[in-house]
Amino acid sequence: MLDVVLMQAGNGLVLGFLYVLIALGLSIVFGLLGIVNFAHGSFFALGAYLAVTLVDAIGWAGAPIAVVLVGAIGMATEMALIRRLYDKDPLVSLIVTFALALLTEAVIRAVWGSAGQPFRAPRALAGVVMWGPFLITRYRLAVMGLTVAILVLLWAFLRFTPFGRILRAGSRDPEMVGLLGINLPRALTGTFGLGCLLAAIAGLLAAPLWTVTPSMGTAAIMPAFVIVTIGGLGSYVGAVIAGLLVGVVQSLTIQFDPAASAAAMYVLMAAILLVRPRGLLGERWERFE
Amino acid sequence: MDHPTPHAGAALTRRSLLLGTAAAGTALAMPHVARAAEPIRIGLLQAKQGPIVQQAEYLQQGTMLALAQMNNTLLGRPAEILWEDEPTPQAAAQNAERLIRERRVVALLGGTLSSTALAEEAVAGQLRIPYMCNNAAAREITGRNCNRYSFRLQPPVPVHARAMLPYLTGIGKRWYFLTASYAFGQDIARSFKELLREVGGTEAGADEVPVGTADYSAFVLKIRAAKPDLVIGGITSGDLSNFLKQWNELGMRDAVPFTEISVGDTDLWAIGRETACGTYTKTWYYRDPNNSADDREFAAAYQAKYKRPAADKAWMGWYSARAMFRAIEAAQSTEPDAIVAALENWRESDAGMTVDFRKWDHQMVHRLLVAGVKQQIPDQWDYFDVLASVPKTEAAMQQAYGGEADTACHMPPT
Repeated sequence: MLDVVLMQAGNGLVLGFLYVLIALGLSIVFGLLGIVNFAHGSFFALGAYLAVTLVDAIGWAGAPIAVVLVGAIGMATEMALIRRLYDKDPLVSLIVTFALALLTEAVIRAVWGSAGQPFRAPRALAGVVMWGPFLITRYRLAVMGLTVAILVLLWAFLRFTPFGRILRAGSRDPEMVGLLGINLPRALTGTFGLGCLLAAIAGLLAAPLWTVTPSMGTAAIMPAFVIVTIGGLGSYVGAVIAGLLVGVVQSLTIQFDPAASAAAMYVLMAAILLVRPRGLLGERWERFE
Repeated sequence: MDHPTPHAGAALTRRSLLLGTAAAGTALAMPHVARAAEPIRIGLLQAKQGPIVQQAEYLQQGTMLALAQMNNTLLGRPAEILWEDEPTPQAAAQNAERLIRERRVVALLGGTLSSTALAEEAVAGQLRIPYMCNNAAAREITGRNCNRYSFRLQPPVPVHARAMLPYLTGIGKRWYFLTASYAFGQDIARSFKELLREVGGTEAGADEVPVGTADYSAFVLKIRAAKPDLVIGGITSGDLSNFLKQWNELGMRDAVPFTEISVGDTDLWAIGRETACGTYTKTWYYRDPNNSADDREFAAAYQAKYKRPAADKAWMGWYSARAMFRAIEAAQSTEPDAIVAALENWRESDAGMTVDFRKWDHQMVHRLLVAGVKQQIPDQWDYFDVLASVPKTEAAMQQAYGGEADTACHMPPT
């Protein structure tokens, strides 16, 4: 039995890395822009769809193009729509981004149809690796490695680059940043684009595992919200810990009570919020208090 | 100069009142006269969102094609289909009620999932409007939840399960059940467990899966550890596609056989040729050599319109809608009881056998296909080898569907 528990825990950790990647863009957009982006799942789906189309047309070179395209669409969306929400009640951003999610899904349905689109991982990543009680596919291993690399790069970018410092300062005191002569709106456009780009990477990496359908974003957005809430709104490290936790809890629940597996992450969230109402590493946000 | 007077106003009001009363009286006394100028409306309840939507799209297209083939007219009047969503059983019931009460539909079609179909047929029974379930397979629909106004195309789960049995016992008798946590999945688990007991097999495990599950890796690892001879699936549409993708990813495709009933072509088209596997029952297949001339004509019309082969779900939408439309024409009326009577007398021939609705439970009696995924799939559509068309005779058909004595359906009195 210990072997089975270890195997499921290991599988949950790997799944957790995919969840982390899905939640990361959401967390960054919330943490730096203060926007609860309900449309995050639709950028995830858009990333998968563009990847399917471009990889089909020009091979794997199309994958990064798809991701960058979604980032650019995200930036255009910020300039056209999202920046009008910064000084509005958080509820307005919820409603507007929810409408954006519905619109994006409708556009995907109109362009690609409702039926699923086949997509598979590169042949080089086919097969499984066994390591003691752990069984993991090469593809999931690659997803895990890529997620860790993205996490490290992103952390270094936000921590050590001038752009990162502007974003962190701007998220707390935009007026002061503006008075220092810094073009904060341009930085915020870039941040929203980065969040969408991360959603597209997650969509691209999930496409060989999950069926590519217009509603695939729905399956992604709920765990992402739960993870961001558990980790603490806007907390980068909190999102990582919460993503892994949700993956493990979900896998272990499937082992012992499969019918409850969909509810497990919500129970976990409720339990954590009872003890820590701002999430594991959440801080006080004047705007949302 | 004329001045408005109270009497003139009163005379006008009285005239309007008389005209209005006459019109209302006509509408109440002779609704068919009052509505003569209106188009005949048919309600369609098919999912527009959620994991089943890839099947629903084809069901809807088949339904629309059936009406188009009748030049969008019924009883010599223009006819239209009003399509509403069915995201949950509660919303399905509300939409069914709205279509009947507010949009005045004369019949309902739909029921992509068993859970929503059960809700829709209850409304149809209560409001006395003919309802044709075109996809859902749970036995209760024409079993204990049946009513006089509800009909169903899809054979019930136990019929599918029994058709599969000869192809399963040769594989092994240690089965693992992976079924969805709603009426369809629960019926599959129940039906196959009954069969497993009959053949003296053992259960290697049984998991109930929440609808909309995206990641099945933990389930696959559980199945792998249980080492079954066979996995009986009871998940559908997008969920089945997700499962099969990850089943293949975790190296199980060639390790443990997978089987499921009533698979949709779209479920496998969505995952690609190199990932598909399994043995299934199907209600129809576009390359079945036994397809009737009408079926072939439908397949050609669908191909011409949508530039792709007709999926089984498109046929199911078309066939059930066509039966309803022909019943309306046969009844020469939109009166519910006349349509019900016409449906009870509707009859066709397919592969030398009669296809009709049984009077005591309104279940369509139609043959099934047992189909296996091809070893080498030649193109993006032709995934299946038809292994058998069952039952093969009228007598075997009656035995497979069971007789009146076996049914749990007891039609409520009208």
